[in-house]
Amino acid sequence: MADVTPSVSGAAVRRRRTARLGPNLVLAAAAVFFLAPLLAMARFALQNVPVIFLGRSTLFKNYSFEAFAKAFHAPQFQGTLVLTLKLAAATVLCTLALLVPTALYVHLRLPKARGLVEFLTVLPYVVPPIAMVAGVAAFFRPNARWFLNSNYALVPFYVVLALPFTYRAIDAGIRSIDVRTLVDASRSLGAGWFTTMFRALIPNLMTSIVSSSFLTATVVMGEFTIAATLSKATFPVFTFQYQTSSARGGVALALLALVGTTMLLGMLTLLTRRGPRRRAVARF
Amino acid sequence: MSSLSFNGVRKTFGATVALEHFDLEVGDGELISLLGPSGCGKTTALRIAAGFEIADRGTVMVTGQDVTNMPAHKRNMGMVFQSYSLFPNLTVEGNVEYGLRTRRIERGERQRRVGEMLELVQLGAMAGRYPHQLSGGQQQRVALARALAVNPQLLLLDEPLSALDAKVRASLRDEIKRIQVEVGITTLFVTHDQEEALGISDRVGVMSNGRLEQLDSPIEVYRNPSSAFVARFVGSMNELPGFVVGPDAIDVAGQVLRTSPDRTGADHTEVLVLVRPEDLAVSTVVDTGLPGTVASSTFQGATTLIGVRLDRLDRLVTSSMPSSLAPTVTPGDRVGVVVDAIRAICEPIGA
Repeated sequence: MADVTPSVSGAAVRRRRTARLGPNLVLAAAAVFFLAPLLAMARFALQNVPVIFLGRSTLFKNYSFEAFAKAFHAPQFQGTLVLTLKLAAATVLCTLALLVPTALYVHLRLPKARGLVEFLTVLPYVVPPIAMVAGVAAFFRPNARWFLNSNYALVPFYVVLALPFTYRAIDAGIRSIDVRTLVDASRSLGAGWFTTMFRALIPNLMTSIVSSSFLTATVVMGEFTIAATLSKATFPVFTFQYQTSSARGGVALALLALVGTTMLLGMLTLLTRRGPRRRAVARF
Repeated sequence: MSSLSFNGVRKTFGATVALEHFDLEVGDGELISLLGPSGCGKTTALRIAAGFEIADRGTVMVTGQDVTNMPAHKRNMGMVFQSYSLFPNLTVEGNVEYGLRTRRIERGERQRRVGEMLELVQLGAMAGRYPHQLSGGQQQRVALARALAVNPQLLLLDEPLSALDAKVRASLRDEIKRIQVEVGITTLFVTHDQEEALGISDRVGVMSNGRLEQLDSPIEVYRNPSSAFVARFVGSMNELPGFVVGPDAIDVAGQVLRTSPDRTGADHTEVLVLVRPEDLAVSTVVDTGLPGTVASSTFQGATTLIGVRLDRLDRLVTSSMPSSLAPTVTPGDRVGVVVDAIRAICEPIGA
């Protein structure tokens, strides 16, 4: 008996190891799938070696930030980056101005409509951006050309495009606090809707408002189809065009955008996770 | 001076009638509880008083002024909610100050008032804390201070104790009463807990299906319930089937019980006689009263509960006796149950 027991437990350990092998393999495969192109991009952008010589022997040769420096000095770089940042800011403002009151209204007054609103906010997933922009352009070109001429014509598209993420973030925030009681308490203390909104609700929705803003900015930083179709010189459009004249510079910019977006998302994760703890410390 | 009155108020939500012909007068400095099962309309009445709901019909007056259609933030009410309602982003001080700021009261006066209120609820040392650093009972005390800070005409309490554990609930209940008396504020208190309502109120309004069944002092509601519903809802009742045999007599299992003349109904009507446990006395002398067998005996300190299965009715009744008078019995013992039916309620069977 004494001999049997360890062998049984040994088998169990082996079984467990085999069971863990599958998921670990999938995880490793996924990591390679995502990281390999990124590393290749980084190598291509950072290594000043002609493409035909890229290989094992040149792995550590001629690294420099030359391609980045060149891209930064390209005539359109600054203008397109500033425009995209402005568009991101405008989109964030519009999104918040539209969604925070809407989500609160639905939550307080039309709880039955919640399903419908959720469905509507998912629609941008279903409608391809190219179909949306073609339809909207077809309507505005003959009726209000000035609208399409403005760079800020992109903002409404971006608001719609970001809806599936932003609405969910704000809705989750609203669900995590007892909005109805806070509104009732505030109103019973003599506050009108405006005061209630800015003193009782928005400060308590800050985490979800910040998340939603970051998500919106991320969408704007990466959107290409609509901007290109409407011929707007945004940063993603510039990146694409720049790639045709300087392959290495284009990849460098794409890498930069990717890293920037990832950092934004990373910050967002940190903010949402650390939020309460940070506040608790500040409160003492 | 402040008072609150509902006159013929009706309120529906879709097909559900929440309040019907609801009349209530709360006098100056009085504390009235609305007591009833969930869905009886008590919270709706309170929310109408607060201005969160508008009555479909009827009027609501506060100190002679018609406030039926006045929005909540224009009324001068202090309200404490069932769930924790403190603003999580503000400190205790910030919370209590909230209503004073919306009234644009100057800083010095605000601080003086906040200090005074926190002293009143004995939380002066907690001014800088945030709600999540307080216990449930402390949060509700801050909510009370916040409600009272604005010098409201009325204090509205919407089951403020129901989220707390039993011990805290009892002490906070007494504290609410102390503060209410100290401030002398007219108060409407909504609860489904009869012990709370009986313990704290000047008068108790028992509600059922959107109507006020009885409005009386706690003792009257308990001792002289106006209907079988009130009798069953407030305290517990033994139910004995019988029939009326005279203007002040009911026959229960062959034994004639005396009751008050206004309670019986027509002769030979079959009735359920509702009797409080403390109106049943258990005796070891089987021949006195209704014979039965002891099913349980629970010593509760000052009182002892004895469960007896009556022979002739095959029904379990409970007697509550002062422990000093209760016989020492064990399950299976033969006993007699003496019924004092003088305050009993007779409910016609099939009604």
